[in-house]
Amino acid sequence: MNALSDRSRDIGPFVEKEGDDLLVCRCEEITKGEIRKAVHDGMWTITEIRRYLRAGMGLCQGQTCSKLVKGIVARELGISPAELEPATSRAPMRPIEMRVFAEESKEDHDEN
Amino acid sequence: MKRYDLIIVGAGPAGLSAAIEAAKRGIKTVVFDENSRPGGQLFKQIHKFFGSKEHRAKIRGYVIGGQLLDEARKSGVEVILDATVIGLYQDREVVVKLGEAIHHFKGNAVIVATGASENMINFPGWTLPGVIGAGAAQTMLNLHGVLPGKRVLMLGSGNVGLVVSFQLMQCGCEVAAIVDAAPRVGGYGVHASKVARTGVPFYLSHTIVKAEGYDHVTGVTIAEVDEHFSFIPGTEKHFDVDTICLAVGLSPMSQLLKMAGCKMSDDPKKGGQVPICDTYGRTSLSGIFAAGDVSAIEEASSAMIEGRMAGVCAAEYLGYIDEEEEKKELAELDDALNGLRQGMFAPGNRGKAIEKTEEGIDISKNLLKNGFVAEDEIERYPGVTHREGIHPVIECTQNIPCNPCQDACRQGCISIGDKITSLPIVTKDSKCTGCGMCVASCSGQAIFLVNEDCGDGSATVTLPYEFLPLPEEGSKGIGLGRDGKKVCDAEVVSVRSLDVYDKTNLLTMRVPKEYAMKARFFRKA
Repeated sequence: MNALSDRSRDIGPFVEKEGDDLLVCRCEEITKGEIRKAVHDGMWTITEIRRYLRAGMGLCQGQTCSKLVKGIVARELGISPAELEPATSRAPMRPIEMRVFAEESKEDHDEN
Repeated sequence: MKRYDLIIVGAGPAGLSAAIEAAKRGIKTVVFDENSRPGGQLFKQIHKFFGSKEHRAKIRGYVIGGQLLDEARKSGVEVILDATVIGLYQDREVVVKLGEAIHHFKGNAVIVATGASENMINFPGWTLPGVIGAGAAQTMLNLHGVLPGKRVLMLGSGNVGLVVSFQLMQCGCEVAAIVDAAPRVGGYGVHASKVARTGVPFYLSHTIVKAEGYDHVTGVTIAEVDEHFSFIPGTEKHFDVDTICLAVGLSPMSQLLKMAGCKMSDDPKKGGQVPICDTYGRTSLSGIFAAGDVSAIEEASSAMIEGRMAGVCAAEYLGYIDEEEEKKELAELDDALNGLRQGMFAPGNRGKAIEKTEEGIDISKNLLKNGFVAEDEIERYPGVTHREGIHPVIECTQNIPCNPCQDACRQGCISIGDKITSLPIVTKDSKCTGCGMCVASCSGQAIFLVNEDCGDGSATVTLPYEFLPLPEEGSKGIGLGRDGKKVCDAEVVSVRSLDVYDKTNLLTMRVPKEYAMKARFFRKA
């Protein structure tokens, strides 16, 4: 059992700290305080944080903030960032307009 | 669905090198890159590279980029630009955005060479316009010809921070300071020295407290940090700047490999999440290979070799060469890669404090703390010698894998020996003609030609000079010391700009003879 699988572990109450108003995820405008609080609300994995707060779910898809978010969550849990599984990688890997995403090229199919 | 023998994602040094290896064996190869220009980061690299001849040392990065691209096209590689790979699926299906539509391709083998992205750190004010990545600044300068600002503070003293600081100055920006939370300069000492001698101060064990400004950066406050990286009250320093560049490391862009189902690991030594692969880039999935920064952050020279390794492995996987040939090719590439992974900055030495050179000489403490070798330290290095008449003074004080200076001198004045990381020495019985080839060949700009006594109370110092406009012969100015502070008056004797120097100009200045071993840069009065 690792530090993450024991969800009954007491990590103490959420206490506001200086710097909580610092923006971390620029795309979705999520602050350090919101991420810290989410951990105390029970969000212990990056996947949970993403679903709960949308941190790392914006235009840049976490390219800028994912390391920062990981660092904050790990510190709050008292573990190494390397113990936290990074977010799932999904297509599309880059921001793409829906009208383009839906535009399946016909020429490729014609060749087979 | 269009099918290729080999699909490569990323047209940087690794991707193009892999493509060349594959295509020259007759493999039908396509390279996709999301940018409108190929070459990855190479076309931004205007400085001369380190290494040996086989690593294309002393050639400027953008020239290497051009060479790779030429080779790739001649070997029949299809390079498709503005092609964003958005997904890598089971059975090596590659989904690409081309223009306004989504296209599907199938690769019998796939090499992912997507490189890395810049890390960010956050501090109050970090979202203000004017806070940018150092790599972004380099893109603006060297690809688009746009200045990011006039006065810049650089956070990060690794090679990226040092090289970009120098390039900012070459473009006419002022660099207010180089700041790093670490207690030691992270990049090559020679890169630090060429910046320090122009007068840029280094603040190690310092980091940014806040960026100031309302709708853009107008200033920055830094402060000293203790060994736990906490600010020490009362150590704040303020700089008026309009740009803050962050050079705080890179993270592999390995998401495509994870999406494809490769086994991954989170390895801080490699820069973050990387595919688990063998030394040649074979991932846990057969037919999928990784090369370059995507599998561990290093630099362009090793990425080129890793790319070639992946190309060879893909060729064997696809049946274009047999195992025996693969083994032979990889052994050669192993040697080339090992040649690069030597010395104080080798991947295995990352984060270690090294006290002595391989020769047993104490490392300059001042170099690590302030970016330059102090006067009372410089004489202990083997390249720094005294003799009558003109002679080279080689201020190379760390073991890095680089040896072009040895081949540059036709008189045999400079010797490194068989071990590529050894510090260069000035040989005893050779005669320097003052041709300056060594000065121009040193990628670290660490070689000077000095005539310590011209007989009239003056001395001459010839130094590498890469700033425009070039000072005119006869112009008066000041000689700056290694620390960038004025040491004496100086007059330009000559400025030589031969083609063989490859854009490194040789500026010779006359200084009073007591400053022959002190003056290392010229500034116009």
